[in-house]
Amino acid sequence: MNAQTLRRYLTPPLIALLLAIALFFAGGFINPDFINVTQAINIVRLAAFLGIIAAGQTLVIVSGGEGIDLSVGAVVTLAAILTFRITGGDNNLVGVGLLASLSAGFIVGLLNGIGIALLRIPPLVMTLGMTGVVSGTILVVTQGEMLGATPALMSTYIARPLIFGIPGVIIIWVALGVVMWLLMERTTYGKHLFAIGVNRTAARLSGVRVERVVIITYTLAGLLAALGGFMLLGFAQTVLLNLGDPYRFPSIAAVVVGGTMLTGGKGSYWGTMSGALVLTLIDSLLRAMGLAEAYQLIVFGGLLVLLIAVYGRELNLRQ
Amino acid sequence: MTLQLSVRSIVKRYGGVVALRDGNLDIQSGEVVSLIGANGSGKSTLSKIITGVVAPNGGQLLLNGHPVHFSNPQAARGRGITAVYQELSLVPDMTVAENIWLAHEPLRLNFRVNRKAMRKNTEDLIALFDGTISERLQPDTLVTVLPPDERQIVEILKALSIDPQLLILDEATASLDSSQVNRLFSLVKQWQAAGKAIIFITHRMDEIFRIADKATVLRNGQSVGTVDIASTSEREIVNMMIESAATPDDIKIPVVSEDAPVRLDVQNLGGGRVEDVSFTLRDGELLGLGGLHGQGQEDLLLALFGAIPYTGRVKVSGKEVHYRHPRDAMKYDIAFVPGDRGREGLLLVRSIIENFQLPSWNKYGMLHNQDAAQRDAHAMADDLQLVYAGMQTPVNSLSGGNAQKVVLGKWLLRHPKLLLLDDPTKGVDVGTKGEFYALLKRLTEAGTAILFYSSDDDELLGLCNRVLVLQDGRVRDTLTGERLTHSELVAASMGATNNHEVA
Repeated sequence: MNAQTLRRYLTPPLIALLLAIALFFAGGFINPDFINVTQAINIVRLAAFLGIIAAGQTLVIVSGGEGIDLSVGAVVTLAAILTFRITGGDNNLVGVGLLASLSAGFIVGLLNGIGIALLRIPPLVMTLGMTGVVSGTILVVTQGEMLGATPALMSTYIARPLIFGIPGVIIIWVALGVVMWLLMERTTYGKHLFAIGVNRTAARLSGVRVERVVIITYTLAGLLAALGGFMLLGFAQTVLLNLGDPYRFPSIAAVVVGGTMLTGGKGSYWGTMSGALVLTLIDSLLRAMGLAEAYQLIVFGGLLVLLIAVYGRELNLRQ
Repeated sequence: MTLQLSVRSIVKRYGGVVALRDGNLDIQSGEVVSLIGANGSGKSTLSKIITGVVAPNGGQLLLNGHPVHFSNPQAARGRGITAVYQELSLVPDMTVAENIWLAHEPLRLNFRVNRKAMRKNTEDLIALFDGTISERLQPDTLVTVLPPDERQIVEILKALSIDPQLLILDEATASLDSSQVNRLFSLVKQWQAAGKAIIFITHRMDEIFRIADKATVLRNGQSVGTVDIASTSEREIVNMMIESAATPDDIKIPVVSEDAPVRLDVQNLGGGRVEDVSFTLRDGELLGLGGLHGQGQEDLLLALFGAIPYTGRVKVSGKEVHYRHPRDAMKYDIAFVPGDRGREGLLLVRSIIENFQLPSWNKYGMLHNQDAAQRDAHAMADDLQLVYAGMQTPVNSLSGGNAQKVVLGKWLLRHPKLLLLDDPTKGVDVGTKGEFYALLKRLTEAGTAILFYSSDDDELLGLCNRVLVLQDGRVRDTLTGERLTHSELVAASMGATNNHEVA
């Protein structure tokens, strides 16, 4: 295999996946207990939550126009709190909780999309502002009191081993991966999404209704973040006012590490899935090293900046 | 100081692709040498080697008889060699003066930029093009607000600011209007008389005959010969460039009959730079749009495609239409090939198939029938004789002519009844142009109505039976039959309606 064919096959998503595997085995040097099937499944399970939350982020970043969704963290929290409160632990109300969560995510995403596409508010400003609005709304509604409970059904089907020791969330994540691939590669929406990410003028002059695609994209991002929040409740069992906050920056980092261009127009969800695995592994490794919580946060944050810088640099070289 | 440059057997490879296998060129002070060849024949590579932008893999540059190596453009500039490129190199958010003097600003004794001198020198440079440019072009104007032709002029002035001994003009006239080209040519004559050497790269045959002393022809990365312009013909040069070539004269599109149905009826159209334009276009007709650059031709096409708001009445096949988005126009089987294919026509980093199918994806179902999309794209590529490595390769790997075929092909896949073309042969090599002319003929024979703007007068005169000449957004004259001549076209472009004397 010569250098050229190697470069063709060694795409950023594959590099990220290889990096994830290498990190897993590197864990063995730090702590021999790190390498076993249970641990592997646990890591994929953790990565699944990040992966689901980052699915919408992938679409938003591919859409270009400095696309970014900073409101994912707040939407995750909102969805989890809504489900927690509405079901009150009642298995029969899980469907209602899911519907309420998705509706909330839909509305937040739609507002983001309208602000960005029609009022031409920069995505960074719009979604950051929306974060404030959502967090404020949560405070007003809950008054800071976390009333409710998590239905037992959710932890059974989401977090606990379901088939062959694999938790439901992993199965859902893989299914989402297939759906995302079809959406991005086999639908008109997907083709138009990449088109507006590359060149909005050319897309418009080819008949793409750019504003409509942008609105759909942010709405999907809101929906997917809400789905992520719903799933996360099944794992966390309890809610906090900042439950989703730790996902905001990693959701962007997972997309970038997976080889999606921050400038838009190029990328894949399977890259984001690999990216989510890489970030989860780094996080788990830092824990395995037994660093104090504060130092873990410092190192993890530093590594995120480094990874994004490295990928951003590679982009510059390619252009 | 006289200069004598010889390029000997230059070889340049990019990875596995040979851009130049045997490049040769001779030029000395006081000479204008035209470098011509089809797209991808190695013209730009050769000029980049001469100016030190890229390093050759073999061969020699001899400057006044001594071998030289330019490791970067600064080194070449130090010897008085510079170029004006077709890809613009200006910084949009800097002023005209700052761009021109970038990296060689006139300094005061204390090493601070002498802004007064910079301004004065810039004014002197701009004065070279007085009368052909707008008021906007001033030393303190930001480059970003300038239209393409004036940016190109700034680019030329930037090259001039180092007072070059050898100046390469690479497609420098492509975005200029004819008065600007005339001015540039009279300047070239002056520079030539002052002992400068000029290498002139262009696709426009008439320009070679107007300005050059000699023409060096490149074909497939090889220089195939140099001819004296005084003793050659267009035919001879074209034959050297390519084996089979068509000039527009070979293909006159037949006059459409009076009883062909009216496809497009435009009354008092306004919008953008267009004012009060009325005309009709029949099925099977190729209607030309002429005039100087930026006289509203592009806006007229954009308005008819629903890409900019318009006033007035537009009827398509007798039905009055109101569209607000290109997608609305597409419902009436209208297609538009924009003038700037990189910025408006293509998704450069995406694959050929995605570019072909961008306007058409929704006809392949909710979940696309990928096989059908592939099949249609392959058929279109074959039809257009597209030269490509694979459907999945990004479109920015294609040469100019092939990229333009993709822009055209994506619309032909929709079988348009009305085709709006904005200068479709700009930056396209002679061979591909010939294919385009034949294609336009086939399309009109099949009943497609075509509205065709071209910045190349020969093209309009050779292909069309009717040409609307625009000036300041209005139709100044409609040329048909006997009056379809070069002098009438130029006269009308300059606003001399119905005046048979040409300025």
